[in-house]
Amino acid sequence: MTTALAVLAGGLLGPALLTAVAVVVPAVIGRIFGRLLRTALLLTLPIAVSVLVVNLFFFPAGRDVLFQLGPVTATAEGLEFALETLARIGAISGAITLFYLTTPPSELVLDLERRGVSPRIAFVALASVQTVPALVERAATITAAQRARGLDTEGSLWRRLRGVLPLAGPVLLGSITEVEARTLALEARGFTRPGRRTLLWWPPDSARQRLARWVLVLAVPLLLVARALGWLGWLN
Amino acid sequence: MLTLESVTYRYAGAPRPSLHDVSLELHSGEVLGLIGASEAGKTTLCLVASGLAPRTMGGTLTGRVLVDGEDTAPLAMHELAGRIGIAFASPATQLSGVAATVYEEVAFGPMNLGVPRSELIARTEEALTALRIESLADRDPALLSGGQQQLVAIAGLLALRPAHLVLDEPTAQLDPAGTAMVAAALAGLAAGGASILVAEQKTDLLLGICSRVLVIDSGRAVLDGPAAEILTGPQLADLGVAPPAAIRLRRAAVNASLPAATLARLDEAIAHAMPQ
Amino acid sequence: MTDLALEGVSYRYRQGATLALDGIDLHIRAGERVAVVGQNGSGKTTLVRHLNGLLRPTLGRVLHDGRDVARRTVAQLARTVGLAFQDPDRQIFAGSVRREVEFGPRNLGISGGELHRVVDEALAEVGFAGEASTNPYDLGASRRKLLALASVQSMGTPVLILDEPTTGQDMRGVEIVKLLIDRAHAAGRTVIAISHDMEFVAASFDRVVVLRLGRVILDGSPASAFDEGSWEALRSTYLEPPLPAIIGSRLGLGATPTDDELLAAL
Repeated sequence: MTTALAVLAGGLLGPALLTAVAVVVPAVIGRIFGRLLRTALLLTLPIAVSVLVVNLFFFPAGRDVLFQLGPVTATAEGLEFALETLARIGAISGAITLFYLTTPPSELVLDLERRGVSPRIAFVALASVQTVPALVERAATITAAQRARGLDTEGSLWRRLRGVLPLAGPVLLGSITEVEARTLALEARGFTRPGRRTLLWWPPDSARQRLARWVLVLAVPLLLVARALGWLGWLN
Repeated sequence: MLTLESVTYRYAGAPRPSLHDVSLELHSGEVLGLIGASEAGKTTLCLVASGLAPRTMGGTLTGRVLVDGEDTAPLAMHELAGRIGIAFASPATQLSGVAATVYEEVAFGPMNLGVPRSELIARTEEALTALRIESLADRDPALLSGGQQQLVAIAGLLALRPAHLVLDEPTAQLDPAGTAMVAAALAGLAAGGASILVAEQKTDLLLGICSRVLVIDSGRAVLDGPAAEILTGPQLADLGVAPPAAIRLRRAAVNASLPAATLARLDEAIAHAMPQ
Repeated sequence: MTDLALEGVSYRYRQGATLALDGIDLHIRAGERVAVVGQNGSGKTTLVRHLNGLLRPTLGRVLHDGRDVARRTVAQLARTVGLAFQDPDRQIFAGSVRREVEFGPRNLGISGGELHRVVDEALAEVGFAGEASTNPYDLGASRRKLLALASVQSMGTPVLILDEPTTGQDMRGVEIVKLLIDRAHAAGRTVIAISHDMEFVAASFDRVVVLRLGRVILDGSPASAFDEGSWEALRSTYLEPPLPAIIGSRLGLGATPTDDELLAAL
């Protein structure tokens, strides 16, 4: 929601304010600001740097020269546009990171299920999130096994290309056999039974959380209208 | 009672059946060991007995599988889930993969069956107690040892309260510590009166917990009798199954024509070295 | 032939994690048959992966014939040390049994008639002579494991390392693995295996190295490692000595780790 708002609000101040209210404050209260900052920076630094460099020097409508660096010229318009984009990127990545850091996938799924999403869909969503580390681990073991048989993964490009098949084969086939094994185990535990499952517990949803969600939801159409009517000029 | 009546089963796309005309009866409170060489059909028999073949596996089955006298043919897998439970060799792939704690993992089966919440909690706690893993309740299943994961998987079955348990080589991928954990758990369940079909390569383990043993060879049931008789019988090695160490040793001693007094000393030492 | 040595090797998977290996000093002479045993998590696999450079010590050195291997790539070290992983499904990729077994030797530059010969030999050793064109995924799990062993055996390296070669094997499969080790030994190759099967260890190895929490707690012949004086150490890592050793000890016959040794003593 913060993401949508940040894009809609536009300008520099809008997203910055939003990030402060909807990301930084909750993160500080939750004592995860340090982790949030690190993860968000890791996520966005490469994009942020390229956005800054490209716009600063190559913004098409740039006229107001700030300084010269060899053959290229930095413009004020470029800087302004870069900062606006960065503010949005910051809000987007901050919001996503906050969500990722505060919401265990299993809780998300339980909550979706409580709201009537089919357990199978919820399961697929969760399983696909949780399979990633297993897949990474499997790929690492397979690479190690083939290197132990003399596969040169450190040589020329041609050598590396030749080495793809011995790695891709077991990764794919292994995943398929694992899915089969998992299907058997799930079916044996009644997973395909139609109808609702009993939930052991579900994440608490306080009145304040509900209020905050509604405020954010209502803010979207409000901002849309405000922007369309040009009321947000002061944010720039 | 779990009954197979002249069951022949062929996997989808396979040229030949993997089980031929197999009949067996697993009585309540009985532990039946299932042995045979690799690819003799142990896993197939476990899949058929649990109902997964042909329901989930596809393929064609002739003959009948009955639970407590009722033909299972018209039942869906989720209807069988509370009546026959199955555990596999690989500890990791049989966990649901979506439970954050052991407690939730064990509760997964009865959750699917939609049992009331109070009963769900009672069943989960009972299963954790039966396998003595209450202390693992809050742990992340993915971070446990293989042996611990196998105990969690078996507890997950018990929570379904099936009358019959089918275990396909539950210790094959475990280290000695894990094997000992699972063996103790099986012995405990057997003592508690569960009826269990357990496929195993480790005949030493079966000697301790089984009342009866069934041997299969190329998809056919070739021997069926009291555990002590089958496991000490002379045919085992010919069927590709390693006899228990004590039996192998005793036989080698007899073949070496040791004097009777020496044999008696050996027997006494073997009896002393065996567990219980 | 190659002497292997670990000198003061410690290894940590991640910063802040406990040591997976904690000051290992181990010297394995060319032609030895060494079994590495211990509970899961005791460091067995971590240890053998140092011998071919898949893992590099956090502290200490790995030496082949007295020379530090720190600057040599895994592909180079694979000429000396062949390592078969525990799970065959993380190794097998080819469309036929022959192509799978060819992969290792090809990487080492073996080709033509010589390649054909080493592959045929390795296939025959695991009883796959008639299966060269079979798709590996049509084989059962236990036979895929034998295929994975053959595909490392065929590399003919001076050192052969097998990670839990008998897991999932029936009686005949275990016999095949024992024969494979015997042949490699007869050819003067070093054989190192990780195993949980103490009867197999007693029957096929000259030396048993017992690990616990990344340290060597026992190192000696099967007779000494399975002697009554070592039982406490073995049991501290959940290992039971083989039955003949227990019986030999009870009858006061000394160290008799195998059936044959026990019967001879009787």
